[in-house]
Amino acid sequence: MKRSIIGLFLDENLAADALDDLRKAGYEMDEYEVLTGLPYPEGTFGEDEPKHKLYRWPLFGAVCGFIMGFMITAGTQVAYPLVTGGKPVLGVPPMAIIMYEGTMLGAIIFTIIGVVFESRLPRIFMGAYDTRITEGYIGVTVTTSEDKIEEAEKILKNIGAEDIKRGWE
Amino acid sequence: MNPHVITAKSTLDKKSKINNTLLERHQRNGNYFWRIISLLAVFFILGIIGFVMKLNSGFNDKVIWGYYAAMFAFILTTAQAAPMVAIAPRLAKAHWRRPISRTAEIWSIVGLFNLILFIPILWVLPSLEDRRRSLWFWDAAPGFESVPVFSPHIWTTLALCSLVFIGIMLLWLSALPDLALIRDKGTGWQQKVAKKLSKNWIGTSKQWHWLYHRLGILGALYFAMMVFVHFLISIDFLLVLVPGWIDALLPITHAANALQAGVATMMLTMFCLRKFGGYKDYIGYDQVWGLGKLLFALSLLWFWFWFSSFNVFWYGKKPNELSVIDLLTTGPYLIIFIGVFLLNFVFPLFMMIWNPIRRSFWGPPLIAVGVIIGTFLDRIRLYVAAYSVPGIGDPNVSKHALPTHSLPTHLPEISDVFIMLGYISGSILVFMLATKIIPVINIWEQREVVMYEIHKKFHRTEVKILGKPD
Repeated sequence: MKRSIIGLFLDENLAADALDDLRKAGYEMDEYEVLTGLPYPEGTFGEDEPKHKLYRWPLFGAVCGFIMGFMITAGTQVAYPLVTGGKPVLGVPPMAIIMYEGTMLGAIIFTIIGVVFESRLPRIFMGAYDTRITEGYIGVTVTTSEDKIEEAEKILKNIGAEDIKRGWE
Repeated sequence: MNPHVITAKSTLDKKSKINNTLLERHQRNGNYFWRIISLLAVFFILGIIGFVMKLNSGFNDKVIWGYYAAMFAFILTTAQAAPMVAIAPRLAKAHWRRPISRTAEIWSIVGLFNLILFIPILWVLPSLEDRRRSLWFWDAAPGFESVPVFSPHIWTTLALCSLVFIGIMLLWLSALPDLALIRDKGTGWQQKVAKKLSKNWIGTSKQWHWLYHRLGILGALYFAMMVFVHFLISIDFLLVLVPGWIDALLPITHAANALQAGVATMMLTMFCLRKFGGYKDYIGYDQVWGLGKLLFALSLLWFWFWFSSFNVFWYGKKPNELSVIDLLTTGPYLIIFIGVFLLNFVFPLFMMIWNPIRRSFWGPPLIAVGVIIGTFLDRIRLYVAAYSVPGIGDPNVSKHALPTHSLPTHLPEISDVFIMLGYISGSILVFMLATKIIPVINIWEQREVVMYEIHKKFHRTEVKILGKPD
């Protein structure tokens, strides 16, 4: 069973030190997290830069939407090839509008799906949390197995956490 | 004691002060606010009465719906363009936009209101069976129906829905950290709502990282969709209704007008927030000057687009082109056109080059009022004129040329006055109610700037140094 604790810090350097010590003690990257009420620049606490693949979603959606738009417009005209006044069967200007809208629609729908997937929403296990985070405190949470939680608590205390809160209490 | 902790404590105090002040202001329920809400609600009810009166006349006579269509286009041009003030400077990492970006994003909620107003226009606009020119290659001969007869209705509705959806997503994402703050520190019903809206936000590094990316992507999509919606509205709901009006620049002119009016809307909103909302400490000269420069540039652009279109018709002088000039510029709506020209171009140009006005706090908002009125008149000039063309929806009337005689000026009826008053009030009402749920000033971005801001002695003065994270 997983347990979660949070150590609250006032100073960014202490929070960064806590992360270093957790790393040295053998805790994996997915076992600890920094919680802040503000978007600190990436790497402020020495944490690994989060990788995301969100940009792939709108691109993939746009390609799908474009193909759909193309198939709807070209497919219809090719299926019923009526030559009007010697003009080509495929009328590009009206096709372009639907293809553009299809592209945008695909990009938007896939972006929304991507945002949900990439955010891992809904987050089932919230872990330890303290409302002082939104005041400006920096929280270091450790979410790990029951046998490793005590050592994590000791590390946070030694570094100088202002307060430590157990998620299960 | 660790010296870092002392510095951290003072920074924390600063951040807490911002939190407490803005949160207290957000949750304050002043009588003044609710009195304005009540007044706006009364006007909005008048708008509904006006709409019901209009409904009684049915949808067959298109001319009576001209003012309605103009109102829809006006809200699209002002309120739904205002979020661009948050999007563009955010992408450019401009610090001055921080206090006003949330205000701009909240305007996107009005898009939902405008989407409802759009529904009757779908009944007003006839199908392609009336044989008007259109983007949609539709032919009435049996067996030649290559696109549905309601193509303009279908695609514009889809595009408008997408725009509104993206706008609301953008607002929600940008407000997530502030909703979490209200969830943690707020009280009453606002806390309950915030709890529901910010459920999963705890502020991990990953969440912040994704928030930034999402805001960027959704901002870019909003811009793309906004331009596209203006393209469809200006073509399918305006240009094609006037035989002989062939203007490739109209869609981009329509969108550029929206950028100008969006900036003006924000300028005025900002002024009201500072003057009456109690946000004097957050909204200052930086914001007024930043938006003022944009407004000036966009006012010049207004002239450029207008003249580029007008020149083609005026120089061409074909009978159809002269009829279009007569209808939209020199004929029944000449007085309105003069008003538009003065308020959207001449007034901003000559006022903004005058330093005492440009540098004052009241000058640029005053110009913004002019631009909003000018845009309102412009929408009336274009839409009322277009919907007053005889034969819309009638396949037996030729759609190749306008009547040679001048068309009469269509003055507003009492129902139109109610609709205009009601719908403008309705937009402001929706905006003001939304500010009760979402803080009108972006609290987390205000606290963020504290991290990057230091004051340093520079020779015999003190300067502010601002950092920019990459």
